Amino acid sequence: MSLLTVSQLEAGYEPGLSIVKGASIHADKGEIVVILGPNGAGKSSLIKAIAGIVPVTGGSVVLDGEDITAVPAHLKIRKGLAFVPQTENVFPLMSVEENLAVAAGVFRGAAAPIEEMFALFPDLARQRRLAAGSLSGGQRQMLACARALIVRPGVLMLDEPSAGLSPKFVEQVFARLVEIRASGVTIVLVEQNARAALAIGDRAYVLVEGREAHEGPAKTLWDDPLIAELYLGHRKEGVQ
Amino acid sequence: MSLQFLLDGLISGAMIGLGAIGVTLTYSILRFSNFAHGDLMAWGAYAALVAVGVVGGLAGPIAPLSFGLPLILATLFAMGFTAGLALLLDWLLFARLRARGQAIIVVMASFGASMALRNLLEFLFSSSPAYYSRALQIAQPVGFGIRITPDQGALLVMTVALVTGMHLFLTRSQRGREMRAYSQNPALARVTGIDVSRVVRTTWIIGAALAAAAGVMVGTLVQIRPLMGLDLLLPMFAAAILGGIGSVPGAVLAGLIIGLSEAAAVMFIGAEWRAGVAFVILMAVLLVRPTGLFGVTER
Repeated sequence: MSLLTVSQLEAGYEPGLSIVKGASIHADKGEIVVILGPNGAGKSSLIKAIAGIVPVTGGSVVLDGEDITAVPAHLKIRKGLAFVPQTENVFPLMSVEENLAVAAGVFRGAAAPIEEMFALFPDLARQRRLAAGSLSGGQRQMLACARALIVRPGVLMLDEPSAGLSPKFVEQVFARLVEIRASGVTIVLVEQNARAALAIGDRAYVLVEGREAHEGPAKTLWDDPLIAELYLGHRKEGVQ
Repeated sequence: MSLQFLLDGLISGAMIGLGAIGVTLTYSILRFSNFAHGDLMAWGAYAALVAVGVVGGLAGPIAPLSFGLPLILATLFAMGFTAGLALLLDWLLFARLRARGQAIIVVMASFGASMALRNLLEFLFSSSPAYYSRALQIAQPVGFGIRITPDQGALLVMTVALVTGMHLFLTRSQRGREMRAYSQNPALARVTGIDVSRVVRTTWIIGAALAAAAGVMVGTLVQIRPLMGLDLLLPMFAAAILGGIGSVPGAVLAGLIIGLSEAAAVMFIGAEWRAGVAFVILMAVLLVRPTGLFGVTER
């Protein structure tokens, strides 16, 4: 059975104006699942709806056998579902250490020690007293991941972690995601950068107009000329 | 020239600063200007007055102060009572309007709440001033021509203790960190697992309790009147904005600056200019540096 099963999910900010229109995806334990799709397809809204910050109007989200569709956002993370937003994903005026402390403090004893996160992200350890707002884009993304991981989630969802990063940092962030998966965390990744995401992904969905239009192993999706041209915005030989 | 105005400014600045903490927290966390904050201050002062009437016989004043254990107990009661009143107001009024998402409606509602609270006080206690104690205090010289009464000294110490405690709470405790996190990024706070309703409750409790403490301070050093909060409203907002919205040390420092400026205006220009000082400072800050002393640009 899948760890995370999303069935026929409908969600949107305004009643009657769904952005997510009956999307169904699932993620098995230890998988990296990539969600791709053209702009406006509802990729971000889909994982925000799963995380509970876009109102859900229909369908269900089941995590580890438990229906968590109606669980409020701040309690979803207690169920083991962590979410890293695309932008504004750190508390800018608090130090790196405080960003991690406030996330861990919500869980009292159950969270990982801050030092464990610093071992995983050594760059952050060197900046621990610095205000999170003054970190570089890549480091900020690392801090956002660490903040989500400190509560030892079963599923880590990320909204375009590569957005705004230079290629070198994209590589670093994605390499770290592979390490995180190796530690047993299931990853659901929404990405524009299809090439980089499919390189580390196991399975991928292509989302079109609010529902999944294609599903398949990540490796073959990149090579499927029809999919590539229609949805991923590149031709077979194209450069990113 | 007498330097007494420095002490007078420091004292009124401490009252303004204590009140401004609540204004700045409400603004940065609940995202609206609470114009009823001054009236919470007045309600705190009257709650302490009633409580002193009840427990006044317990013990006499602690020499050389004009007050003793009864007023200290009454202040604690007033802080709790005012916090409860603020939570009631939030449940009855502000929470319902906040849910609709338009800040301006909540601000207008706070105007209404302000008037209702103030008129209720006049109805219950009349508009004539009241006092915790009729005892006269002898001001002691402390050098440079400055004199201080024992009450003033004690209340300055109380202010320092409350502000220090507040700062430590916000920077060292989990609850305090959650409040700061929420004010910096509400959406991220939710996905981090922070309980928003608890942050809102804590904000009201702290803001109202400090307002009550400031109210008792005004009541002890000046007098207790239903309009006492309204009179301090503009200086408190000026302090919150000059200090930088969301900054507790900023609000207190700015409160002192405004208190001192008011006292200086009385000393050098004329007493009738006192009320204009906070207004001038407020305008100047908004024009020159809208983020205030310790503020940050809103995203």
